[in-house]
Amino acid sequence: MDTFVNFFLGGFANGAVIALMALALVLVWRSSRVVNFAQVGQAMFTSFVGLTVVDLTGSWILGLVIAIAAGAVLGLIIHFLVMRPVRRADSSGAIIATFGVLIALQALAAMIWGGDPRAYPTPVSYSGITVFGRVIAITPYDIFVIVAMVILVLILTIVLTRTKLGLSMRASAFNPEVARLSGVRVSRMLAAGWIIAGMVGAVAGVLVAPTATLSPNSFDIFLVFAFTAAVIGGLDSLVGAVTFGIGTGLLLSLVTGYSDASNAALVALILLALNLWFKPEGAFNHHKARSV
Amino acid sequence: MPYVLPLTHPVLETVGVTVRLSGLTILDDVSIGVPRGSVTGLIGPNGAGKTTVFNVMTGFLAPDEGMVRYEGRRLKHVRTHRLTSMGIARTLQGVGLFPALTVEENVMLGGSSHVRSGIVADALAMPWADAGQRRLRERAREVMEEFGVLEDAQRRPSELPYPVQKRVALARALVSDPKVILLDEPAGGIDSGDMADLARIISSWVPQRTVLLVEHHMELVMNVCDLIWVLDAGKVIAGGSPELVRNDPAVIAAYLGEEDAH
Repeated sequence: MDTFVNFFLGGFANGAVIALMALALVLVWRSSRVVNFAQVGQAMFTSFVGLTVVDLTGSWILGLVIAIAAGAVLGLIIHFLVMRPVRRADSSGAIIATFGVLIALQALAAMIWGGDPRAYPTPVSYSGITVFGRVIAITPYDIFVIVAMVILVLILTIVLTRTKLGLSMRASAFNPEVARLSGVRVSRMLAAGWIIAGMVGAVAGVLVAPTATLSPNSFDIFLVFAFTAAVIGGLDSLVGAVTFGIGTGLLLSLVTGYSDASNAALVALILLALNLWFKPEGAFNHHKARSV
Repeated sequence: MPYVLPLTHPVLETVGVTVRLSGLTILDDVSIGVPRGSVTGLIGPNGAGKTTVFNVMTGFLAPDEGMVRYEGRRLKHVRTHRLTSMGIARTLQGVGLFPALTVEENVMLGGSSHVRSGIVADALAMPWADAGQRRLRERAREVMEEFGVLEDAQRRPSELPYPVQKRVALARALVSDPKVILLDEPAGGIDSGDMADLARIISSWVPQRTVLLVEHHMELVMNVCDLIWVLDAGKVIAGGSPELVRNDPAVIAAYLGEEDAH
């Protein structure tokens, strides 16, 4: 039973990071109707920027702040240089473009920072907490990650549901023509989606980097997990992304704990396939199903 | 020769507008004007090009020839997102509401161009952005009350009967306090009781506002319009008072032709 509880607790922090990455995917999907496969590449690249700042200044917080700013700038650059030029292509053209961005970012990161895995420091201890003389599988850093996710989700919820920006972003995503008629600058809302997603992805990257080491390809596996969580959650739903992000993290922790870490991606893909088979519109999406 | 009816200082007009799509001429040298403070109708058989005129006026389509003038000034490139701040609002065929937004959010969106808080200030919920949002909400509630949909403010459009959804769409158009309102088939799908309400609402807007109305319901058009333009196969075939248009042989022939086709 102790083992189960330990695996379960250990999955929460992982789930929080998957939830944030899934949120970033959902934000781009809601604004542009594009599945952004470059998201993990953006998170990786901005984490390297953050690590460089930490190395130079010794400040973890400053590294996080600069990484978030880099995430915003990178999101804006990708929107203007890559996504806008392909906006008149069909959706597969835009998706292929995001793959191109992923490969370009990984190559660029390897050229700048090299291909060797790097350790990313943590702001708090990454050792198990002792409770009644027993060390449990949740660390102060895990709690830090979960709290950071909750704060970020609250901020995003307020921005998207309580502000004019959020209202305009939601309207642009649902019906750009009507949004324009209502006075919304839809192109700005698309850019805003990429910027906010870039920032959220940067936070996810910096939070996961200490647990996964940092190299140009080290976040690739998170794309599978985050994509699975976002799709099962409904791709349009922030609540779905968070719920199934955490759920996926918990499940994968149990799979890794009871079998082998290499089975985690396989389980995620099986989940994805089952979801597309039985409920393609996702659990939290009340609109019509997407064709698969 | 294109049909031309000289008007004194129309607030909104198309001048010699021609639109070609896929080798077909959808609008052919169309010049129509909307006098200030009037209700002007734009009628014609199906496929005559009425909605295309609206699309040109609101920037959804760029004309191949001709231009749009608003308050005497040529609009070189009509930027759709700037229409509400210029004082022009448009409703769409059907209702065109956002299904995932509440009625209140739908209505608020129509006036969002009047809140100039800036994208960053808005994202950070700065005090001035909050104040703008509050004013917008108050204005939306006023308009919702005027249209009798205030009690449905927190409901989704799909939970409401179709005529109520139509009223929400009108409220959204009105929330920006427009000078000119383009109504695209506002009477579609509503019964005679709601039609009488609609006629009363439209008539109450003039002369403070100007209305351009595309509509198939002739009774509504004849009741509320001061001036009517008639399109057929992309060309203006008549223009004038309801009485004049009703008895115009070209108009009768165009509509009889449509009935024959059915």
